[in-house]
Amino acid sequence: MSERLSVLLVDDEPIVGKRLGPALTKIGCDVEAFEDPKKALDRIDQKTFDVVVTDIRMAEIDGMQVLDHVRMKSPRTRVILITGYAMMELAREAMDKGAFDFISKPFKANDLRQVVARAAQSLGVSVDFESTAIPSQ
Amino acid sequence: MSIVIVSSDSTEKGEEIARKTAQILEYAFLGRGELLPVVTHQHGIPKERLDWALDKSPRLWERSAGFQDRCLAYIQCATLGELLKDNTVCCGLAAHLYVIGVSHALRVRVLADPVEIAREISKGGAGSLEEATRVMERRRKYRRDWSLNHYRLDETDPSQYDLVISLSQIDTDEAIRIITQTAKYRRFAPMTYSLRCIEDAELASRVRAGLLETYPTVKVRAEGGTVIVETKGTRRNRLKMAAAIKERVQNMEGVDYIEVHVKNGLFKKFS
Repeated sequence: MSERLSVLLVDDEPIVGKRLGPALTKIGCDVEAFEDPKKALDRIDQKTFDVVVTDIRMAEIDGMQVLDHVRMKSPRTRVILITGYAMMELAREAMDKGAFDFISKPFKANDLRQVVARAAQSLGVSVDFESTAIPSQ
Repeated sequence: MSIVIVSSDSTEKGEEIARKTAQILEYAFLGRGELLPVVTHQHGIPKERLDWALDKSPRLWERSAGFQDRCLAYIQCATLGELLKDNTVCCGLAAHLYVIGVSHALRVRVLADPVEIAREISKGGAGSLEEATRVMERRRKYRRDWSLNHYRLDETDPSQYDLVISLSQIDTDEAIRIITQTAKYRRFAPMTYSLRCIEDAELASRVRAGLLETYPTVKVRAEGGTVIVETKGTRRNRLKMAAAIKERVQNMEGVDYIEVHVKNGLFKKFS
């Protein structure tokens, strides 16, 4: 296992990758961001990531399909789902299918960092969350 | 790690099942005996009045005073405060009506056995099954009206629950076993989203409880520290009222931003 946490980030809104990518890099993650979920799945087939962060509602392939794909390929990988259309049924379905966590938008970069830090901890990898975290107001 | 909420048409049976479930899961138990003394201490309302608020519909002349609404708001606020701690089995506090949308709350409805109700009615003797069925039907209608009146939800509607168990078909021990097993399903595990849902509900209920005495028509929503308050008032007093509400709410714990909407109240408009 590498020292740095490998994270794949997929969201078809470019702004999300631009914002969250650097936020995760700051806590020592190696981040690969994708806007096209198809390309993200191709990359998942090539490399086993520690953490996959995916939006749920995307045009061709949705986040649940990404979750299924990752779980088939690498059950060890922690999948974090993010969505602006959170509902109880969807959240429960995601957890049933093996998601590590489910976050509703809007959220602060710190919130995601906290969840990624927990995912890293569950994998036995440490990330430097404390030194970079912005204290909550 | 989750919350289990047990609701039943038999208070005794519901509490018995909830207590045993808590024991097996090693969760805290939260019932009237645990929570109402806290509400009494905080707001100076006798326990009997809180029990009354949870069980009875107000008479016509009691409705406008809003006392029952206040009692229920205080109970809701205190209950949600306890449920934030997680790993809790809750019963008898109408919590199934205010954790809607919280995915880590398993909501269970336990339907009492009419034969036992018949026994209850005749105080241990042999009560008639027909009479028991009639009593249960009356209770069901009463609870339906009560829950619709206060929460706009029908607590007797099975679709409000994740699990409905009929004690005329499944015995108490089996019911407890089913509940404890279901609570362990991954779908009822807390997640960032569901924890935020319950934090929002708790914050909204706390703000509402703080305002209700002065503003009886107040409605509150909360989303991640943003609080939206809606109330009714006169056009003339709108700004003053909004400022007073903001002043009172802005320093409450967990409030980052407050928005107040004062709508024209029908009666005050003509006064």
